[in-house]
Amino acid sequence: MSFLRRPTLLLLGLLTLSACATRPPASEPEALAEYEQANDPLEPFNRTMYTVHNGIDTVLLRPAAEFYRFFLPPPVRTGVRNVLANLRSPMVLVNDALQGETRRGATTLARFLMNSTFGIGGLFDVAEQVGLPGHTEDFGQTLAVWGLGEGPFLFIPALGPSNPRDLAGFGVDIAADPVGWGISDGGGTAEALGWTRLGLTVVDTREGLIEALDTVNETSLDPYATLRSAYRQRRRSDIRNGRPAGEAPAATLGTGLDVTEPPAGQAR
Amino acid sequence: MNRRSLLAAVLATSTALPLLAASPARAEMDINQAASFVDSTGRELVATLNSNQPIAARRQRVAQILRSAVDVDGVGRFILGRWWRVATPAEQQEYMKLFEETLIRNLSARFGEYQGVRFSLGRAQQRTEDDVLVNTIIERPSTAPFSLDWRVSDVNGRPQVVDVIAEGTSLRLTQRSEYSSVISRNGGQVSALLDAMRRQISALAAREGR
Repeated sequence: MSFLRRPTLLLLGLLTLSACATRPPASEPEALAEYEQANDPLEPFNRTMYTVHNGIDTVLLRPAAEFYRFFLPPPVRTGVRNVLANLRSPMVLVNDALQGETRRGATTLARFLMNSTFGIGGLFDVAEQVGLPGHTEDFGQTLAVWGLGEGPFLFIPALGPSNPRDLAGFGVDIAADPVGWGISDGGGTAEALGWTRLGLTVVDTREGLIEALDTVNETSLDPYATLRSAYRQRRRSDIRNGRPAGEAPAATLGTGLDVTEPPAGQAR
Repeated sequence: MNRRSLLAAVLATSTALPLLAASPARAEMDINQAASFVDSTGRELVATLNSNQPIAARRQRVAQILRSAVDVDGVGRFILGRWWRVATPAEQQEYMKLFEETLIRNLSARFGEYQGVRFSLGRAQQRTEDDVLVNTIIERPSTAPFSLDWRVSDVNGRPQVVDVIAEGTSLRLTQRSEYSSVISRNGGQVSALLDAMRRQISALAAREGR
């Protein structure tokens, strides 16, 4: 995925050029606490990137998502979403394992086997129907479980809210994806499939966010600040696999016979 | 990183303490009482949203329900956070009025979208001694069901909603950073937030008319 490299370099260049947000002096403890809590020392740069992102979203991403929703009936879109999730599940399994989440890993493996076979290549989520709902994991979350901090908040055009840890995790997930290897080892058809997968992932993701993002843009007095706060809270919750803060994590690296279960309705 | 987050935690606690001291006395919250409170309030709300009364009548009823079920004062002050003490008494009063109006209008502008809404009660769990999290599953026609958690506290002797949490995202925390950002970016002027809130309310009211 060499197309990722150039924008990354450009981004790093811009990062070094951009002005930083002014850190409040120690004489204003409340302002300082808020500054620390927002975790956004690069805010001026990030806001510029947010504007760039909105431009891309308005002319490209959102129309593509609307188009996709308009022309494909819900069952087809559900099938696409299921296939994409199934293709991602090997990487989910790897991350489950790296986090020592044996039970969740077993669920992911069982889902992959069932959906790939009885679910016809992942088109139907038969595993969910027998009581094995899916969940997501990524290497950014794995790094967090390993104790790595998120670093400063970043807004990446076309990708959305992020941070150095999650961005690195995103790159690792792409580079390590066994499905991706299969694609790069194949010929022209495989490459076309790879691009199709990427394109579908983008429109499917954006389609799923139409209402949520419309609501934020309509109701928030500062959508950037809302997205920043929501992203960081959501990631913290995902890293804990939906368990409330402060609750002991499931017995990681254990036998998988742990007693703590994620609360019903939050295990996704 | 660790030392920084510790410092942040200490600072956060020291800023939160005066806020807590200012809020009304809170007693222990019973988990079953909280769940049945969410259930009955949810039923009332759903019945109003699905009724075919005129919009104005429905809005009035929703306003009534929200005023009695939500700790509007506490949540409003929490969201304004450190700017509450920066605001003049007149601004504080105006803010509270606008905050309540925003809460109501945000729902009433979406009456159409909520037609046919249903909800079911999930499990409730004690968070702290005076604080219970009640889970609900919201179903609307043509959209996937989603989970909402209601944080219920005992405020002056009766259960009230103090926060709503969707997918691990707390509404009051998100709105706090939103409002604070508006004020900070306008040179620390609380009046800038009030202006923005007024504009938003008239936009929502215009949308409701459609």
